[in-house]
Amino acid sequence: MLIVGAATATSAPAPAADVEAGRRKADACGACHGPTGTSSIPTTPSLAGQPPIYLHWQLMLFRDGRRKDPQMTPLAAALSEADMADLAAWYAAQPPVAPARTPLTAPQAHRGRTLGEQFHCFACHGAALEGREYAPRLSTLHVDYLTSQLRRFKAGTRGDLDGTMTSAAQSLTDEAIVEIARFIAGAPAP
Amino acid sequence: MRHTPVLLTAALTLAAISSGLVPALGQQPPAPPSWKQGQPSELADSALSPHAQPPAPKAAAEIPVDKIKVPAGFKVSLWASGINNARVMTWGDKGTLFVSSRVAGNVYAVIDKGGTREVKTIAKGLNLPNGVAFRDGTLYVAEIHRITRMDGIEDKLDSPPPMTVVYDTLPKDAPHGWKYLAFGPDGKLYFNIGAPCNICLPPDTHANISRVNSDGTGFEYFAHGVRNSVGFDWHPVTKELYFATHARDWLGEDVPNDRLDHAPRKGLHFGFPFCHQGDIPDPEFGKGRSCGEFAAPLLKTGPHVAGNGVQFYTGSMFPPEYKHRMFLAQRGSWNRTQKSGFRVMMVTLRPGDVPKYEVFAEGWMQGDGFWGRPVYTQQMKDGSLLISDDYAGAIYRVAYQR
Repeated sequence: MLIVGAATATSAPAPAADVEAGRRKADACGACHGPTGTSSIPTTPSLAGQPPIYLHWQLMLFRDGRRKDPQMTPLAAALSEADMADLAAWYAAQPPVAPARTPLTAPQAHRGRTLGEQFHCFACHGAALEGREYAPRLSTLHVDYLTSQLRRFKAGTRGDLDGTMTSAAQSLTDEAIVEIARFIAGAPAP
Repeated sequence: MRHTPVLLTAALTLAAISSGLVPALGQQPPAPPSWKQGQPSELADSALSPHAQPPAPKAAAEIPVDKIKVPAGFKVSLWASGINNARVMTWGDKGTLFVSSRVAGNVYAVIDKGGTREVKTIAKGLNLPNGVAFRDGTLYVAEIHRITRMDGIEDKLDSPPPMTVVYDTLPKDAPHGWKYLAFGPDGKLYFNIGAPCNICLPPDTHANISRVNSDGTGFEYFAHGVRNSVGFDWHPVTKELYFATHARDWLGEDVPNDRLDHAPRKGLHFGFPFCHQGDIPDPEFGKGRSCGEFAAPLLKTGPHVAGNGVQFYTGSMFPPEYKHRMFLAQRGSWNRTQKSGFRVMMVTLRPGDVPKYEVFAEGWMQGDGFWGRPVYTQQMKDGSLLISDDYAGAIYRVAYQR
């Protein structure tokens, strides 16, 4: 009965990972993602507190050419399986920090939440958009990153483990993408 | 979003327009992710959802092979490990075992070196490449959107040949878009095109088993009303098709059963989405239809068990009663509070009677949890049986000791 899956109540086993080794290996990542995984660059995602399974799979997608990015593609190509597991474990263990918020107006918040419900964001990303397993924590991501990724999912150019987000983005108008991204990035801190 | 009932669509559209959300008339509300689709509103807070695939295989030392129980006289060993998301297995002419994956996007070659096995990744970055089949020196690979071939692959495992397109006039839907692929007794390539949903009235192009000549010509539908079959085989004597099908979710803990079906000829309809397990009309799509219109299942195999690999045993290592028995690997449930499946069943056909249905191997499920998911089988030349486990990234070998 497996359908394209997104999340689960049962935790998949964490791969054998060394958090301390992950901290050392993350040195090279800090310039863009921040020293403890909280990014100050609007188009670069924060990794702190992301689900380890999500982070590990994303590194594999970059390495295998299924997700493409001028910076990440060559970096991921140099990583071993153990590197990926260690990095994922270390970033997952860092406390998530939300970026500075632009407060939403009441109508913006209402529209955003309604769209989020209509487009089923909470079904996989969680009631507080805190993420679980395949589905990243959205609550710490910047509005620019969220907007660009949603546009790429809609265009079919953002790597997608099992197609769930590509399918989900197809019926989003660009106006809805902007509204949803603004809502997520403006929602209260996790 | 093709299949939301008209009234619901209208209501949601009106609500959206009145709240100023929808910029243009005719905008359809989006479908939920397919695993959640068809979930009744009273179960909206259900904790059940598909089990995530781990990003890495288990190390050999972490795989508790001794937990796998088989009938007396049989012995299970760990044959290969470290094969991320290992799924379908097919033999090359020269003894290479080709192994597919699903979300990992890889195809592997496993070379038996006596006591050990060497694993090479021969293709990566593919679009859920679940299907692999081999004939005359060529490996055929089925992804969601295409079937390709790698000629002379067994002599080029370290520098694999390009993947040449055989057939790509296929839907691109991700839900149930991954394929099983096998050569039929007629030399044609058979594969599934699953329903692009949990439950919906699928387009005419979906919910079937199809076939095409190995050169990509002569596409045709073989079986209809098949929600998603990712495992089938042909009887060694009658040459007729038998296949497993995953049934819909969110209809209940104990219904509907997954099914094992028999398609002795082309053109039969197996009921989806109108009728489930041969006797339960779908609450929405079954209205005005009768289960009697459709081919009944050969066997109800249990609710939510996720029957994948189907294979007739043709070897001589196992006791004589195993000849032409079917093995059915069940990957295990997610849409059920008490887990089911996570085992390999055996099915003995009995003319004029319901097949005999027994457990062959179990133990991947322990209490409320599970540590592996048996997903396909493949017979070895000596008559022993390989079982792949996509969750642990491993292949087990079951042998019989006289």
